[in-house]
Amino acid sequence: MSSTTAEAGSNQRTIIVVALVLLTLIFALTPLRRVVWIDLYDFFLWMETTWFGVIGKTWGAVFAVVEAFHLLAMTLLGGAVFVSDFRLLGWGFKDVPAQDVLDKAHKVFVWGLIIALSTGIFMACGVAGKVYWLPVFWYKMLALLTGILFVFFVKRPLLSKGLENIDARVIKLVAISSMLLWVTVAATGRWIGFAGS
Amino acid sequence: MNELFYNFAVWLDTHQLSTSIHESYYMYNWIESTHVLTLMLCLGMLFLIDLRMLGLAFTNIPATSIARRLNTPMIIGFSIMVVTGVTLFYAVPVRSAQSIWFRFKLVLLFAAAINAYLFHKNMIKSDGSWDADVRAPKNLRVGAGLSLLFWILIVIFGRLIAYDWFDCEYTSPGISQFLSGCVDGQIQF
Repeated sequence: MSSTTAEAGSNQRTIIVVALVLLTLIFALTPLRRVVWIDLYDFFLWMETTWFGVIGKTWGAVFAVVEAFHLLAMTLLGGAVFVSDFRLLGWGFKDVPAQDVLDKAHKVFVWGLIIALSTGIFMACGVAGKVYWLPVFWYKMLALLTGILFVFFVKRPLLSKGLENIDARVIKLVAISSMLLWVTVAATGRWIGFAGS
Repeated sequence: MNELFYNFAVWLDTHQLSTSIHESYYMYNWIESTHVLTLMLCLGMLFLIDLRMLGLAFTNIPATSIARRLNTPMIIGFSIMVVTGVTLFYAVPVRSAQSIWFRFKLVLLFAAAINAYLFHKNMIKSDGSWDADVRAPKNLRVGAGLSLLFWILIVIFGRLIAYDWFDCEYTSPGISQFLSGCVDGQIQF
């Protein structure tokens, strides 16, 4: 009964991911993308008028420290991603059950993600009028969204089935994709600073 | 001492390679990106070790096992950070040498190194009976806490290097100029 429920839940998630990928493709390949982008401009201008935006623009030191905490959160998140993916690739912790490592790393990942998102929103408010015009900012948002969807709708549900029930090549593919995705998120994030200066 | 440091930085600045790296948009930015991205590998591992010692993460995995396994990727990450960090200094030597944040960062790096040495020594000295405990013994917890504190400050000061609030070029004589190591009559910034 429980395995049937788990399978139904897993299938549902797969359908959601496929639907989201299709929607993203439709969005990216049609004029809809430009329409939404133009509509978002007012929202970005509003972001700069919020408390976060005002503090970020007025006190450079606050912005800089929040920036550093954003970096630290990414460090925590990255550490969790690397530990779990190294375990999936069989590069360490072989004597510890994989599920234990994955579950504990996921908790750290979630904390890292929460701090990164909170500090990221603060930073985006402070420079909303600038990042709106930077393609690399949108690439980062796309990579971030993909990373979050990948973790919660692909990686976690898939690995919850138990590693022994999954093809070893699929496990390695998931681990490599996960590392590439999160390094892309971090790299595009860093590049926002260069592109905006 | 400050004059010596300044002259050394000026000498580095005369190198064609230093100028080339600094003036290359992609080269400089990729080196800096690598420096920052490697934080995820080096500090990511270090934070997990420290959090384990404090009983805040991976509590079901033996502490020494965590420390031993994560040590290699951490050292690899740290080596890349050192190489890219030295290259970044080489690319912008005068401003970096006289950055108050860079100087604080160096002091903290030194403190973190001493702390790491003591932590390692205490870990070897302990009998390992606590290995499966949720929290490590007090002396190791203190070491882990200090390590977290030092590295958080190192990242904050590292980030602040980008800001020019206390650059010799813009500040008037006073404590900040003293701490930045500004030299009277200097012509390069």
